[in-house]
Amino acid sequence: MDNKITIGIPRSLLYYKYNTLWLTFFNELGIDTLVSPETNYEILENGKKNTVSEACLSLKIFIGHVNYLKDKVDYILVPRIVSLENEMKLCTNFSALYDIVKNTFKVNVISYNVDVDKGISEQDAFIKMGQELGFGKELILNAYKVSKKEEYKQRKINYLLQRKKLNRERTKVLLVSHGYNSNDNLVGKIITDNLKKYDVEVIYADIINPDNREKLYKNISKRLYWTYNQELLNSIEEYKDYVDGIVYLSTLPCGPDSLVNEMCIRKVNKKNITIYMDELSSTEMIQTRLESFIDIIKKDDIYE
Amino acid sequence: MKNKAYLGIDIGSISTKAVIIDDNNNILTSEYIYTNADPINAVKTLISKLKNKFDYNSYKIVSIGTTGSARKLIGKMLGATIIKNEITAHAIGTINMHPDVKTILEIGGQDSKIILIDNKVISDYAMNTLCAAGTGAFLTSQAKRLNINIDDFGLIALRSKRPIKIAARCTVFAESDLIHKAQIGYKKEDIAYGLCKSIVNNYLNNVAKGKKILTPIVFQGGVSKNIGVIKAFEEELKQEIIVDDIGHLMGAYGIAIMSKKYEDDLKFSFNINEFKFETKVSECNKCTNNCEIVNIYKNKILVDRWGNRCENGLK
Repeated sequence: MDNKITIGIPRSLLYYKYNTLWLTFFNELGIDTLVSPETNYEILENGKKNTVSEACLSLKIFIGHVNYLKDKVDYILVPRIVSLENEMKLCTNFSALYDIVKNTFKVNVISYNVDVDKGISEQDAFIKMGQELGFGKELILNAYKVSKKEEYKQRKINYLLQRKKLNRERTKVLLVSHGYNSNDNLVGKIITDNLKKYDVEVIYADIINPDNREKLYKNISKRLYWTYNQELLNSIEEYKDYVDGIVYLSTLPCGPDSLVNEMCIRKVNKKNITIYMDELSSTEMIQTRLESFIDIIKKDDIYE
Repeated sequence: MKNKAYLGIDIGSISTKAVIIDDNNNILTSEYIYTNADPINAVKTLISKLKNKFDYNSYKIVSIGTTGSARKLIGKMLGATIIKNEITAHAIGTINMHPDVKTILEIGGQDSKIILIDNKVISDYAMNTLCAAGTGAFLTSQAKRLNINIDDFGLIALRSKRPIKIAARCTVFAESDLIHKAQIGYKKEDIAYGLCKSIVNNYLNNVAKGKKILTPIVFQGGVSKNIGVIKAFEEELKQEIIVDDIGHLMGAYGIAIMSKKYEDDLKFSFNINEFKFETKVSECNKCTNNCEIVNIYKNKILVDRWGNRCENGLK
């Protein structure tokens, strides 16, 4: 390609799953990338303005990030991921994302389409995307393999760091939430900042072992339709005996979470609290709920 | 040598409560007034009322605890030694008053909660999240619509023989349901008791969903003063509901007890009216978060500020 292009990456939704993969891949191909900043109120406002009111908070935030990038880059990366395993699906938002963005903004979108259930693997999808960008198959395949290795390494490091935290002599809470919620500046960070203020160690259920072949989730539910929720179930089973309590965090309205979290509350015997976030959630309300939850799990200084 | 006394204040959305206790958790004096959306003045009034009742020749206040939705503001204003959420405070107060309690139902002006106690330790709780239907505010507004004084509401409801069914999921829907029922000629008492039942159903299906309600059950909060709601709870749970005269003071009582651990050489004065307190809210503007910073002034001098999510906000 003659002209150097920049690809914009919204810091939202799948970014928190695939940032290493994406950034390494484009870097290997010599393409510049621009990642939007941490979510702020301006991004949220613009997201709200450009979405239907029924969309979930996380999707609104995503659209806000696309809006931020739209005049700053040549392309915006918006993958369409339908399924990652046979007979398993992601939330429909991830299938619809490409079309939602295309119908909301006049932007150039670069996309890749993964649908393992229909025989389209991530690797095939990446090759197709690379070809659209004008690269040869061999070069793309090489870049993809390097990125996959890097992704694995990063995930393993994150996982091992988290395992280390489990043995610390502190009150620990498992945050059960999708990565795009638990890491978002206006969603999960409000929770994790508060927990840390009370000297509570936060264990993230979205940090998973990339080598995990154990199907721990089966203790809670034999088979779950949604891959990401199944991963969270696996984490609950892996971490529950190390932590003092579970915080279920979900953005409204989330279909998968509303079913799966409810099931976990019934089946997992652990002190827990559910926090729903929508665009109107006040920090004070969340603080009151978290503080009382911590009083319950810490059990120390409140009694005579 | 004066005896030690401990002050607990619970500043809720509707009412402000204070309790002063002695070393043995006996209540020396208490006060209850409406907040009227002005917590600073409510607390000033409260303190001056306490001043007239309190025996400061024999007792000295050595700690102050604040709880309730304005706990932080009032805590800073009075120099509280402990500031805690109302759930914990209510539980601690109730455990002291009813040592065998297993379930606390609490319905206040804007929120409702359930607290489960296991052997004098809080084991679980839940609080309404996104909706205030089925709280005191809902009942007050519907009473107004029915032209019933909220204090008489319970008595009127008890006269009902055929309570109506009211959709309770949302204040707005409940209201249109209620108007519809009124327009086709239902009796006031049947509507009133229907509302009580709808509050109870809403509470049990939302706040208390999935929680095991074991006896003894203590019912608290402003709505516990409504005998219609008490009856509706007893009918629904088929259990006796304990409501005591000082249920409304339980948050203040609990925080007073908790404050005992945080005794301090206080400069507390009952002459709080001499000070002028002011809150000014500003937008930080130092980064894109644009946090709302709350600044508290005492006699025009900045004494505290909060609301910042990063250090920049304090500069």
